[in-house]
Amino acid sequence: MRMKWRIITCLIFILMVGLVLPIKVLAHGAKIEYTVNMTIEIVATYDNGEPMAGAQFVVYAPDDPSTPWLTGVCDDEGRFSFTPDTSKPGTWDIQVRQAGHGDIVYIPIGEDMVVTGGTGGYTAIQIILMAACFIWGSVGTALYFSRRRRA
Amino acid sequence: MRKGILVLAITMLFIISIMLVSCGGGVVGTLQFHANGEDFVRQGFVSKDGWSISFSNVYITLAEVTACQTDPPYDPHSDANMKCDVEVSLDKVCTVDLAEGGENALPILVGEVQNAAVGHYNALSWEMVKATSGPAAGYSLVILGTAEKDNQSIDFSIKVDEEYEYFCGEYVGDERKGMIEEGGTADVEMTFHFDHIFGDAETPMDNTLNVSAIGFEPFAGIAEGGKLDVNMADLQSRLSLEDYQMLVDILSTLGHVGEGHCHCD
Repeated sequence: MRMKWRIITCLIFILMVGLVLPIKVLAHGAKIEYTVNMTIEIVATYDNGEPMAGAQFVVYAPDDPSTPWLTGVCDDEGRFSFTPDTSKPGTWDIQVRQAGHGDIVYIPIGEDMVVTGGTGGYTAIQIILMAACFIWGSVGTALYFSRRRRA
Repeated sequence: MRKGILVLAITMLFIISIMLVSCGGGVVGTLQFHANGEDFVRQGFVSKDGWSISFSNVYITLAEVTACQTDPPYDPHSDANMKCDVEVSLDKVCTVDLAEGGENALPILVGEVQNAAVGHYNALSWEMVKATSGPAAGYSLVILGTAEKDNQSIDFSIKVDEEYEYFCGEYVGDERKGMIEEGGTADVEMTFHFDHIFGDAETPMDNTLNVSAIGFEPFAGIAEGGKLDVNMADLQSRLSLEDYQMLVDILSTLGHVGEGHCHCD
């Protein structure tokens, strides 16, 4: 019985120390949080190395590649930078143009850096109908042969 | 009786499935192919050496015109070959007049394909070949027009018999081209930059465009009686070696996709 009370007393003491100590730590501590932002810097030059100062740039996000996501003008060294929205994984397309010259670059961005894409394919209705047809056909075929065996 | 109905039902289901698969593979739209000499050809311009140039006809003969979906996108600056995942081609050779239609004309419609698979056609290739008939017969490019400067006027006809093959990436311009959605229409454009030959007075003289352009003065120098009617053989014999080589080099850079450059073979 006495032993039991000693254990309970020790536990209460440890608990109180545990409750008090953190307050002291917080009073003199520091907190560091960080966020990683993937910033992409573009440098646009002519074939001879001359910077495309003041060139127009257009950034297209992967979820809507026909509508500009960001537009702007390069600095005197032909540079600009932007932070892509990482909730939109895929290929980001960046076009830079000036005085009849231009180019486009494709940058894949994603958690696994894998670019997904494709063309054509089936609509949802087609997929559902095809699946239904397949199931119905399989069941029908099975029923047909099972009836035949009984006969 | 029941057995017959069951067999019929299974057969119908099989046929419907086949039809659905066919429909899925046929999600298509229309792809139009345009050729564009830009305002330089339609409205004329002043060359780097001050000649005011207007064009009456610019005949160009196109063959093997093919648009591709490429992934990764084709880079004309690399030595890699263009690998098409999906391709659509015009099954014809045709000569078009880039000056047709006046100052505000739209780019020339070369042809269209109505059953093009949906997707982004981000690469384009074509050949400039010698025409076998018509006003440009024997030549891949014929440039007809008038150049004026300081009360001088020269009617010129410059005929090119070299053949070129251009491999280009995606169109670079005010809008993105080549994106076909189901049942929709998109276009791709073969763009020809004639300011590369003559230079452009509105562009700084130290710009690459003007540095590498021959201008019109060398042509004016070999004109006689206000006329110049030459082919490449004539030009080789009458222009200076430097000017002729400059012209040869620049002709291979004529083809673009909007403002995007192409690889030329």
